[in-house]
Amino acid sequence: MISVKNLSKSYKGIRVLNIENLEIPKGQSFGLVGNNGAGKTTFFSLILDLIQPTTGQIKNKEILVNESEEWKTFTSSFIDESFLIGYLTAEEYFYFIGELRGQTKADVDTLISQFEDFFHGEILGQNKYLRDLSKGNQKKAGIVATFIGNPEVIILDEPFANLDPTTQIRLKQIIKELTQNKDVTVLISSHDLQHITEVCERIVVLEKGDVIKDISTSDATLKELEDYFTGSVLS
Amino acid sequence: MIKRFLSLEWKQFTRASYFQKGLAIKILMFFAVLYFGGMAIFMGGAMFFILKKIMPEADPIETVNNFMIYWVLANLAIRFFMQQLPVMNIKPLMIIPIKRNIVIHYLLGKTVISFFNFISLFIFLPFTVVLLVKGYPPVYVLFWFLSIMCINMALNFINFLINKNNTVFYAIASTLVVLIGLEYYDIFKISEPIGLVFNTLYTNPYLVVIPLLLMAGLYKINFNYVRKGFYLDDAVSKKAEKVNTTDLTWMNRFGSIAPFLKNDVKLISRNARPKQVVMMSFFFLFYGLFFFTSDVYYEMPSILAFASMFITGGFLMTFGQLVPSWDSEYYKLFMSQNISYKKYLESKWYLMVVAVAISFVLSTPYIYFGWEIFGMIAAGALFNIGLNTFITLLGGALNRVPIELNTKAKAFSNTNGFNLTQMLIGLPKFLLPMILFYVPYKLISFNAGLIVLALSGVLGIVFKNFFLNKIERIYQKGKYKTIAAFAEKK
Repeated sequence: MISVKNLSKSYKGIRVLNIENLEIPKGQSFGLVGNNGAGKTTFFSLILDLIQPTTGQIKNKEILVNESEEWKTFTSSFIDESFLIGYLTAEEYFYFIGELRGQTKADVDTLISQFEDFFHGEILGQNKYLRDLSKGNQKKAGIVATFIGNPEVIILDEPFANLDPTTQIRLKQIIKELTQNKDVTVLISSHDLQHITEVCERIVVLEKGDVIKDISTSDATLKELEDYFTGSVLS
Repeated sequence: MIKRFLSLEWKQFTRASYFQKGLAIKILMFFAVLYFGGMAIFMGGAMFFILKKIMPEADPIETVNNFMIYWVLANLAIRFFMQQLPVMNIKPLMIIPIKRNIVIHYLLGKTVISFFNFISLFIFLPFTVVLLVKGYPPVYVLFWFLSIMCINMALNFINFLINKNNTVFYAIASTLVVLIGLEYYDIFKISEPIGLVFNTLYTNPYLVVIPLLLMAGLYKINFNYVRKGFYLDDAVSKKAEKVNTTDLTWMNRFGSIAPFLKNDVKLISRNARPKQVVMMSFFFLFYGLFFFTSDVYYEMPSILAFASMFITGGFLMTFGQLVPSWDSEYYKLFMSQNISYKKYLESKWYLMVVAVAISFVLSTPYIYFGWEIFGMIAAGALFNIGLNTFITLLGGALNRVPIELNTKAKAFSNTNGFNLTQMLIGLPKFLLPMILFYVPYKLISFNAGLIVLALSGVLGIVFKNFFLNKIERIYQKGKYKTIAAFAEKK
């Protein structure tokens, strides 16, 4: 679904990301881990054509992301709060995204009704603008908005951060269900090794922009990752 | 302790993003401040002599006192729209062992060093000096000056109360409207008793205690207000506003650009900054009164063309020139969502067109000045719709200053759209209508000028898609730069 070739990004001569070759097949749940500054958000921003690659290219469903805008029709993402419109209520925001993605109000209503459990009564019918919600609740709204309009690729940057434990557990279930049918490709990054090994079938470790590990998740993966990050503390 | 606060303040000032902008902007801002300051000092110094010349029989100090009410009103109005509430990052200070009262005193005291206070000082200080030189009794003059400065500070504190509290604002605003109405229709001249008050202040120096107490009292009120709200869940945290949901489904008839239009309406109605800007654009409607009432301009019809363009172009000039900055807070969303740039621009275009149309309807009272003038306003409106909208959008492509939607603009710290390219791009907005009108007017006739101006607008509407495509390409080119600039922390 997503193929990366010779991709690199440098700021003022300092290389922050360097991925020679990476293929993410359709329907995969793909996890990205790495310490701060490893290049996770940079990679996601490059896929979304929010920054320009220094070299190389990214194809999303055979579409070169920096040449055509066609990928936008089937890709959705939540990277940070700048993906929310602060002066809208959560409902208005969902309808707005729905309108952009060709969904009727009823479509959106049906979709978000499935997430009432996830919202835990703190998002819908609150009569509050998104900018007045807590960080965690903003995140919930942003994440659910990415499910609107049947996207084929969903990109979530650190979706577990700021969420309360109950919501974290629910989010894990949601992501598992999403990728069950192998229709939707999900890309997530996280600092929580346990969560990410639980929901992703493949995990890539970035360090200072380089791919250090590319693991197909198994029972041993969590231990392997923990050993790796312990090692990087010791060394 | 105060010394530490001051050092924090200094760091905040020198490290603020607007201060780290290009050297050119710094120099321009420096000159702007210098200009306004210099103008004020000059005015203050010259005021005595000017008044003496215009009204030789009246004592300048009395004339000044009689007009003082207008100074008070203008002062208050400018403050209300421009002056920001005192903010200090008090959250980190709350858990540090500093007495609350010190922080609050500091916070309020800080507002004394505001540009708005200095403007009045710059006007009245030279005036006072001139009075002294001219041999007016020093005790009278100095205490009068002190009174004025106390009133100035009192206004400073009143403004914060007005800003915090809508009822106070509406109460004062409606009183003002009533008073101005009464004054205008000669029913009751408020300026006379007020003039009397100021003259009494002048002739009875001991009365300085009244303004002094007024200032102190208002300070105390403000102090108590802040003191009461000195908790995390009160003044420090921003209050969650009540949501106003208006049904905008009727706008769906605009088809594919409807979502954006609906969003823009909410943008304007729910955020402080756009509200302020739209309010300002409303004042453009009255621009014509300056020009059409003065005979001087009748001999310079190209100036009239300029004025007519201004009357309906307020929204264009104020709101339009900050496209796409209005969406800067969530620009990444727009850039990664299923949106084409062209749709986005088209929606902004329609918004401006609607605004011009509304201004045009509101400008119908100008018929009073004759059909020629009104024809000119109509032609100016067409020009605004057909050409100025595109020039504005084009200028926006170079505009990469993020806007904080829900904070009012500060005077002189707001450099949004304040750069050389912006200014150059702004020139055609003024010059083009003047040229388009003036050339055929000179060569053929007044009506020919009108027709050419109007036709230029129609032409723009006809070639709308062509223009939009061209502009879209320019926006596309600058996309990454714009995203990066908007993502910068303010």
